[in-house]
Amino acid sequence: MSLIQLDKVCKTYRTGNLEVPAVVDFTATIEAGEFTVLAGPSGSGKTTLLNLIGCLDQPSSGQVVLDGRNVATTPTRKLADFRLRHIGFIFQSYNLIPVLTALENAEFTLMLRGVPQQQRHQRVRELFALLGLEGLENRRPNDLSGGQQQRVAIARAIAAEPAVVLADEPTANLDSRASRELLELMHRLNREQRTTFVFSSHDPQVVDMARRVISLHDGRLADDRRREP
Amino acid sequence: MLIAIAYRNLWRNRRRTLLTLSAMVVSSSLLILALGVFSGMLEDMLASATEQYHGHLVVSKSGYQDNHDLYATIRDEKLPVMLENRPEVVAASPRLRAYGLLSGRDISRPAELLGIDPEREEKVTTLMAHLVAGRPLPSAAGNGALIGSGLARRLGVGPGDQLVFVTGAADGSIGNDLLRVTGIFSTGDSGHDNGLVLVGLPWLQQLLVLPGQVHEIAMRVNDPMAAAGIADRLAAELPPGLDVFDWGDLLPEMREAVASFDVSRMIVVLILYAATGLGILNTFFMAVMERTREFGILMAIGMRPRTVRAMVLLETLQLGLLALLLGGAIGLLMTWLMQRFGIDLSGQITPVTYAGGTILPRLHAAFDPVNVWMPCGLLLVVCMVAGYLPARRAAKLQPVAAIREE
Repeated sequence: MSLIQLDKVCKTYRTGNLEVPAVVDFTATIEAGEFTVLAGPSGSGKTTLLNLIGCLDQPSSGQVVLDGRNVATTPTRKLADFRLRHIGFIFQSYNLIPVLTALENAEFTLMLRGVPQQQRHQRVRELFALLGLEGLENRRPNDLSGGQQQRVAIARAIAAEPAVVLADEPTANLDSRASRELLELMHRLNREQRTTFVFSSHDPQVVDMARRVISLHDGRLADDRRREP
Repeated sequence: MLIAIAYRNLWRNRRRTLLTLSAMVVSSSLLILALGVFSGMLEDMLASATEQYHGHLVVSKSGYQDNHDLYATIRDEKLPVMLENRPEVVAASPRLRAYGLLSGRDISRPAELLGIDPEREEKVTTLMAHLVAGRPLPSAAGNGALIGSGLARRLGVGPGDQLVFVTGAADGSIGNDLLRVTGIFSTGDSGHDNGLVLVGLPWLQQLLVLPGQVHEIAMRVNDPMAAAGIADRLAAELPPGLDVFDWGDLLPEMREAVASFDVSRMIVVLILYAATGLGILNTFFMAVMERTREFGILMAIGMRPRTVRAMVLLETLQLGLLALLLGGAIGLLMTWLMQRFGIDLSGQITPVTYAGGTILPRLHAAFDPVNVWMPCGLLLVVCMVAGYLPARRAAKLQPVAAIREE
C-alpha cells in the first residue's frame, strides 16, 4: 500500500461570500522512500496540499490517506497524536522555539512522545553529529545562523523517525550555499535512512535534486515526472 | 521540560512580567499588612471590651446578667478554683457587684462598685493596669478603692480622699460605709471611667451582707476567639442554676463587629484582586497573542491542545507562586514590623469607643494566619482564573491559521 494516497482531493476556502478553490480534484500516490517536490508558482496550492498531507487541514471533498489512516474521518483531537507519531515538519521560517536550546528543540517531539531523557539525548547527539551541529547543542536559536537553525529543524523533524517528513519551502530563507548543503543533507538522509521527503518549493535547486516533481497550477495537477536516481 | 519551557516563556518579556509581578506583590503584601492592622484594631477593641472588664467568659446565676439581681449569688467558694483547673482557662476571678450612690466632698454620683480579689482580678482583666494616679489596690484591700478618672474628676477626689457609698443591702437594711481612694484608673472607655469603682471583695460582701457569696466568676481563656466553644463545653459541667456566657453573649455588638470584619476583609480582598486579576489577564492575553504562530507550530508538530493549555496555565501558576512567595514574605515582614513597633497616633486622635470596645489611637498589627493564607491563596486562584482564558484561547487555535499569523 502507498504511504500517501490523495484521491480527488478538493480544498476550498471561503472569504466572505467568495469561495476560493485552493486544490481541485487532485489525485496522486506517494510511496515510502520517495524524495518528492510539489512545484509551482505562488498560489498554485503547494502549501495547501502539504497541509492536507500533514493532517493540519482537512479536505473539502475527496480522500487523504496517510499510512493507512483517512485524515478526513479522523477526529481533530486525534490528529495531533497522529502527526506526532507519523509526520515530521520542516517550515520555511525554521520555527524553532526561541526559549529552548538547539538540543531541546531537536528532542522536543521525542519529549512529547514520552521518550526518556537519556534516550532522547543519545538520539539527538547522533543526529547532531550527522547534521554537522556538534558543539551547538546549548545555543539558543537566536545564536544560530539560518542554515544551522534549519538543520536543527530537520533534526527535530526526523528525531522521532516519522513515516514522512514534510518541508514547506525549506530553502526560501537561506542563501544558495546553505540551500545546497541542506538539500544534500536531506538527500543523504533519504538515501541512507530511507526517510520519505515531500517538499513544496519553487526553488530550481530543490526541483533539480528531486527524484519526483509534481507540478501544480491553479490548484490542479499540471505534471507528475519521475527521474532516475 | 514543560515546566522549564513555561518558566522561560514567563521571562521572554522581562519588563512586562516584572511589572505584572510587582503589581501582584504590592497588592498582596499591602493586603496582608492592611488585614494585620485591621486585626490589630479588632484585637485592641476585643481586649478593651473583654479584658478591661467582662473577661472572656463569665459564670453567674441564671438571669443575673439580665437583671443584676442582688440576691442572684453563687455560694460555692470552690467554683473559681475548679474553673481555673481547666486547661483552656488561664485564671478565674470571683466578683460581687453593687449599685448605689457615691459621695465625694460635696457631690454625689451613681456608681457601680465591683468587689474583687485584686490578685485574681489582675490575671483576668487589665483594669488595674490602667492606673494613672495613686497605687494599685493591695491584696488586703480593706476599705481601699480604685476609682475611674471621670468619676474622680466629677466628685473632685484624688488618692487619699474619702468617699461614702450608700446602697441597699441583702438583709433589707441601708448599707453605707467609708472608702478611701487608693488610686485612679483611666481605660479610655467612658462607661468605666465615669462610673466604675473597684473595691475589696470582703469589704463589699460585708456591706451587702452577703458573706462568702459572689455574683459572677469572670475568666480569661487562652484563645478568646474559642470562648464560645469553651462556654458550650463548660455549660454541660456546671451545677444546675448556673449559666456561662462568652464575651459574644455579653457584648453582642462586639460579636457583630468581629463578624462584619470577616465580611469586610473578604470584600477588600476581592476588590483589590479584581484589579490585579485584570492586569494578569492582560499580560497573558498579550503573551498568547504574540506567540500565536508558535502555538500553531507546537500543535503542528504534535503537541496536544490540552498540553498547550497546561503550558500557559503553568506560566500563570509560576507567576502566581512567585508573587505569592514575595508578596507573602514582604507582607509578613511589614506586619511583624507594625506589630513590634506600631505607629503612635495619640497626638493626632483620641480613643474611640465602638461596639463596647475601644479603638486605641495607634496603628498596630496583629498576626492572624488567615490574614496571610487567604490573600495568598486567593492570589493564586485569581492568577489561575485570569490565566485560564488566554490558555483556552491558545488551546483552541487551529494550527494552519495560527502558523499563517505574523
